[in-house]
Amino acid sequence: MKKEKDTQVNEETQEVERFNVIFRIQHVIMFTTFLLLAFTGWGLKYAELKDVSSWWIRIWGGPKTAGIIHRTAGITMLLDFLFHVVYVGYLLLTGKMKIRKETTVIPLPKDVVDVIHNFLYFIGIAKTKPKFGRFSYAQKFDYWAVFWGMFIIGLSGLCLAFPVQASAFMPEWTTGWIWQLIAVMHSDEALLAIVFILFWHFYNEHLKPEVFPMSWVWLTGRISLKEMKHKHPLEYELMMKEKRE
Amino acid sequence: MVKRISIVLSLILLVPVFAYGEDIAGCIVCHNAMAGKIEYNGKVIDLNVDARRFEISVHGAFACTECHERFHENPHTPADNPVTPDVKKLSEEVAIKAKADPVALAACSKCHEDEYRDVLDSVHGRNVVKKGKADGALCLDCHGSAHYITKKNDKESPVNRWKVVETCGKCHGNEKLAKEYGIAKHVMNSYYESFHGKKYILGHKRAPTCVSCHGYHDIKSKDDPTSPVFGTNKIKTCGHCHKGANKKFVAAITHKDPGPIPHYAEKGLIILTMSVIAFTVLHVLLEAYSDIRDVLFRRRKEVEHEEGKGYSG
Repeated sequence: MKKEKDTQVNEETQEVERFNVIFRIQHVIMFTTFLLLAFTGWGLKYAELKDVSSWWIRIWGGPKTAGIIHRTAGITMLLDFLFHVVYVGYLLLTGKMKIRKETTVIPLPKDVVDVIHNFLYFIGIAKTKPKFGRFSYAQKFDYWAVFWGMFIIGLSGLCLAFPVQASAFMPEWTTGWIWQLIAVMHSDEALLAIVFILFWHFYNEHLKPEVFPMSWVWLTGRISLKEMKHKHPLEYELMMKEKRE
Repeated sequence: MVKRISIVLSLILLVPVFAYGEDIAGCIVCHNAMAGKIEYNGKVIDLNVDARRFEISVHGAFACTECHERFHENPHTPADNPVTPDVKKLSEEVAIKAKADPVALAACSKCHEDEYRDVLDSVHGRNVVKKGKADGALCLDCHGSAHYITKKNDKESPVNRWKVVETCGKCHGNEKLAKEYGIAKHVMNSYYESFHGKKYILGHKRAPTCVSCHGYHDIKSKDDPTSPVFGTNKIKTCGHCHKGANKKFVAAITHKDPGPIPHYAEKGLIILTMSVIAFTVLHVLLEAYSDIRDVLFRRRKEVEHEEGKGYSG
């Protein structure tokens, strides 16, 4: 009995590292630039609301300064993203990170099953929650949304920032409409990204009762064993199994 | 030359306040107090002149008869004072634009000779003098009444940087005129929705206005080979701001309708955005519901369940 209690206390306080400091810095750069981009881009997207938008842009130092902030933040974000890809590639190649179905961020068929399972739990049909690995489907969605955003918004943003250079790559038959398309892609997908972060990321990592006001993992990088067992049971089980071996 | 000298001399003579004060006083005493408008030759004209605004205008030091050359008597009937020959000739060409006094309309050329010549040779001026239509813009259509013209950088001036787009839009945003002259449809909107226009709205000091690309006094139709926006002329025009602009790049800057692709792409993206919002909002709401439900009705059960699971696993 006493022994059991000790294990429990241990689990309350004992923590494991979930994200190392390099990942944490990447995340801080990502969300800082994201906010800067959203704030400075918003005024331009809704320029037709002249009074509100020009007031808002003045807060950011006027249209010229806001433009410089937007471009600087955009390029920083792209570099941050590229670094992430290279860094993960390095971890995989050196074997410091292994692809396992319990710990990978790669979407698997199980994630689709988990979505359905979770919805069934929400409405009361399923009696238990799905058991997630290191990354739940919600977190995988969050993660890959960044790739989609980088591809669509980042590429179109580069074209808009360097129109003369970009036009060299555009086939002649596209010039009549491609720039409109790029502008639409950039601004509409940016809106999607903002709305997505606002609803999805903010609820899951900030507003949810169990994490409110925020999940501290982004700062400490650590997660308690208890929380891990609760939120990422498959990863926990794998870790325990490896420890025993 | 003689004309120039006479203008300069008369200007010098006009400078002393008392001289012009008396000269203008005879007219302004009535014309400052004329409420309402009258109909003259089928056109509604305003005979009133706001003396205060006139005084602070760039032309505030002029005698009325400097431009209204025909009028000399007070009261001015008949208006038959001899008119400077050049002004007389020009007044006949632009008569269709004048509401009441074509001589006054032509009199701008006495000082602004080069500008006037440019305007007459522009797409606006030719429409008046060659085609005899009243739609082409002359001096007053853009600069406002000659009585109240201020410096072009003055914030009241209709041709200042922050007002000139609106001023062009008086005609170019007019559907009837656009149709008659084959002006690209929604040309104003396509500007306001472009990055150029959006930056302009937000007050970007270097964002181009209509005149930055199209020119002003000597403005030409986009189909005129001398227009700065005709064909390869655009390379130079766009190059003012976009260093290294080439043929491929400048083709993209246009008021032309981009066709269906961006339109449907936008529709597709809106559907995608809406679906993602619908999914995330539904997910968040249902999850919040289940969290609340669990706290109220299932908490104890779940804790027991989890503990059991933890120990057995």
